Amino acid sequence: MSRDEIPPGTLYLLILKTLAVRGRLHGFEIADSIQHNSDEILQVEEGSLYPALQRMLIKGWVTAEWGVTAGNRRARYYALTPDGRQQLSVELSQFERVIGAITRVIQTA
Amino acid sequence: MSKPAEILRRLRMLFHRSQLDADIDEEMRLHLDLRRQQQIDAGLAPTAARRAANVKFGNTTRIQEKSRMTWGWEGLESFLRDVHYGLRAMFRSPVLTIVALLSLALGIGANTAIFSLLDAVLLRSLPVKEPGQLVVLGENDPSGIGNAFFDPDLYSYPFYRELQQKNAVFSDVASIFSMTDDVHGIVVSSSGHIGADSEIMHVQLVSGTYFPLLGVPAQIGRTLADSDDTSEGDHPVLVVSHAFWKHTLDSDPDVLNRKLKLGDTVFNIVGVAPPEFFGTKVGEAPDIWAPMSMVKVVPPGWDAYKPAFTQSLNIIGRLKPGVSLTQATANVNLLAQQITRGLPGAVLSQKNLDKLAKTKVPLTPIANGLSSIRREFSQPLQILMVVVALVLLIACANIANLLLARSTARARELAVRQALGARRSRLIRQLLTESFLLALVGGALGIGFAVIANRFLLHMVSSGFETLPLNVGLNLRLLGFTFAITVATAILFGTIPAFRATRLELTETLKAGRGSIGAGTRNPLAKALVVSQVALSLVLMVSSVLFLRSLANLNSIDPGFNRENVLRLDLDTEPTGLKGEDPNLNPIFQQIEARVSVLPGVKAASFSAFTFHEGSWSEAVLVPGMPNNENIAVHQNVVGNGYFATMQIPLLAGRTFGPQDTGTSQRVAVISEHVARTLFPPGNPIGRHFSLGGQDPKDNFEVIGIVKDVKFNKLEEKPKYISYLSYEQRPWGFGDFEVRYTGDFDAVANSVQQAIHSVNRTLLINHVTTLDEQVARSMTNQRLVAQLSTFFGLLAVFLCCIGIYGLMSYVVSRRTNEIGIRMALGAERSSVRNLVLREIAILVAVGIAIGIPATLIADRSVTHMLYGLHGADPLSLAAATLVLLAVAILSGYLPAQRASRVDPMVALRYE
Repeated sequence: MSRDEIPPGTLYLLILKTLAVRGRLHGFEIADSIQHNSDEILQVEEGSLYPALQRMLIKGWVTAEWGVTAGNRRARYYALTPDGRQQLSVELSQFERVIGAITRVIQTA
Repeated sequence: MSKPAEILRRLRMLFHRSQLDADIDEEMRLHLDLRRQQQIDAGLAPTAARRAANVKFGNTTRIQEKSRMTWGWEGLESFLRDVHYGLRAMFRSPVLTIVALLSLALGIGANTAIFSLLDAVLLRSLPVKEPGQLVVLGENDPSGIGNAFFDPDLYSYPFYRELQQKNAVFSDVASIFSMTDDVHGIVVSSSGHIGADSEIMHVQLVSGTYFPLLGVPAQIGRTLADSDDTSEGDHPVLVVSHAFWKHTLDSDPDVLNRKLKLGDTVFNIVGVAPPEFFGTKVGEAPDIWAPMSMVKVVPPGWDAYKPAFTQSLNIIGRLKPGVSLTQATANVNLLAQQITRGLPGAVLSQKNLDKLAKTKVPLTPIANGLSSIRREFSQPLQILMVVVALVLLIACANIANLLLARSTARARELAVRQALGARRSRLIRQLLTESFLLALVGGALGIGFAVIANRFLLHMVSSGFETLPLNVGLNLRLLGFTFAITVATAILFGTIPAFRATRLELTETLKAGRGSIGAGTRNPLAKALVVSQVALSLVLMVSSVLFLRSLANLNSIDPGFNRENVLRLDLDTEPTGLKGEDPNLNPIFQQIEARVSVLPGVKAASFSAFTFHEGSWSEAVLVPGMPNNENIAVHQNVVGNGYFATMQIPLLAGRTFGPQDTGTSQRVAVISEHVARTLFPPGNPIGRHFSLGGQDPKDNFEVIGIVKDVKFNKLEEKPKYISYLSYEQRPWGFGDFEVRYTGDFDAVANSVQQAIHSVNRTLLINHVTTLDEQVARSMTNQRLVAQLSTFFGLLAVFLCCIGIYGLMSYVVSRRTNEIGIRMALGAERSSVRNLVLREIAILVAVGIAIGIPATLIADRSVTHMLYGLHGADPLSLAAATLVLLAVAILSGYLPAQRASRVDPMVALRYE
């Protein structure tokens, strides 16, 4: 199992996208989902998820509310706000621009 | 992504910190549990699963901290923690804290209070439009009324009008009656009823151009205008001050329909001056401004509007833009000559013309207002300002010393904390917070102290019966300045050791424990601070000894009369309806003198125009055959027959006034020794005649007696020319009544007042006090300097002692184990004590050695303020040095004693 660090600055993008696709999730589910959807390639340092979520709360991209898990435990569920959705598209286009540029550089070689 | 919403969210997070902490805690726990469960499900052993989950998650504590930091409040939080810790540190060493706070409070408070007064008296600009353009004609701004041909300081009303029309340099000219009339005015009620209750109102007469020239608008209604000042006697209008409107008229909104009765005339109030406007004389605050046209109507009814050679006005002008003071002076001097010669009734004698040609009129800028209190108090206040500045320095040195000592003593604590991983910046920030806290609390106390000291000071400088109406609101700029200095000191000296301590080699400090003999024991900075404190204290001590001795010298001057056991009061005859100088008042005066004289406990009683320090009426005494007398102003005191007995002024030759001297008999006078010796030809002056001014028989007086010289205005003055006239022959509207008594002052004061009212119920009695008090008032200035400089001198010494005590206690505690070793090796307790005392003695000696030349230089600049002393004399110097040495050694004795009690076993056990 290869363990690749996620590229810097893309953590927000990954969280936003995950929430956009899956709706309400708690922290563990977000981490799991990212790992799973990347075919176990992307390894989030799971702890770093939480400071990022706090920042996103402050920015108003996500909201959080307490709910109960399937295992009947209290968990904090995060959901996208309209601001968050907008931010996702911003981050996406930015990411695509950077990736596109990198790809072009690599292909010309 | 709106910013305000984000700030709101951050604030909400600040207030729900603990909730959020718990939330993050819980969700992270959940995460770890779920992950571990997942690993167990995947087949791992529970411990391995926990380990794997933790590894995958990362450092929990750090992540928690990072989450919290995202809220952006960690700075505030650690600041609050520092404040909390700082407060605890302050309470842990209460003595040090109290001393530091007191130093700060007194330093800031005293400086601010004295400067605020200095500012009010000397520096503050008048609250008028462009005060920088205002000038007054003349150099001084005397008050009075005279009948000279020309006076460069006082002018007549016709002169003012001429100058107003002819000058080319002023945009306008205004005149101010140089005296404030204190009138028993009556407030007419809203319904128009004129009551009988009068009260003293300070009336300032001004030309109609006064308010327009100053550019002061009315708060309500209008100010006076030139149209109120066009013809004599028919403009009964007034502008009242804001304070008068507020207190006497209860802020009546309908004030423009209210009236005041001054003398026999009812005046309409046409306006209220703005709150900040107190007039143009610093130290005077009129209640009422009336137009000059009404001068004869307002009691006491000066005739100063039409006579061209009755000078009673200060003239002020506003320079036209672009006109220099020199140009204006040239123009005014040219005009002054022309106008004076052209005034109606000018006596163009050669003598008058010569005098006029020789007199120059200087123009004096009055941006800060006219003032007589300024001349009186500018120097004492400046000296006090220097004194308190020195005290501030000492206070700062003290704070510095205490903080240095404390922080260095905490080097070990800081080292421990650093060893445990505290960042250096964090430690420095904490020490800074502590110093800042100390400075802030001290500063707040200082402001409180300044407010109290300010009132107290104003009371001290008010030599009259009423407190000077000065606005001595705290000077915020200065407050900020002193505050900044002391706070900066606290922070600087609180932080220097922080830098020093945190730079230490940790292992060294920890290893050496309190036995370290490092920078601490030979702290040159702390020692330099103590030395300079001693030096400054010496300067202040010697100065205060000088001022005190000067005051004592002054007080021991024999005034020529017996100042003890004399009651004096002011009597106002205005309610009788008789004008001043009306001979019909004389029977009333005689009855009062007769009734009071026979009261029990009363030895003698008499009216007089003046006693001491009350101003004067002066006229030249012209003795046939003596040519130069007309240039000598002789104080004329109009008195009753019992005056000399009451004041106990010794009669040297002839007799004093008696019942034989009546309104119809030959006019007689008693002269002072000095007058007899200098204004009369050699030989016995008794029986000789002189005249006051005119040729009229009523101005001709025969000398019947010679009395000893007395002081008239000040104790330190040279012998004055004084002659005494009898009120039977020269009527006077009296002010002063003196009673020589024995026994209890209050009882006599009561019976005297009853006796006066039994003669006439309407007479108003004011200012009942003693002659001694009256004399003391003339020394307000010297007393102010002496008392305050003594206070600050003692304060300086006290602060200095605390500084020494603090330093030595600290040194002793640092050297405990060295002392222990010495004692273990056989040192005597006394020799250990002497070891410490020697160190103090050296510091104090160095301080004194530096202080003595500084004192000599400093005191040379105050020599002219001293009476009977010439700068620092050996006696004052020796006394101050000894006192300083004694208290310094004493304050060092306690730590020395503690050092000698060190138990070698205890001291060495720490090694």
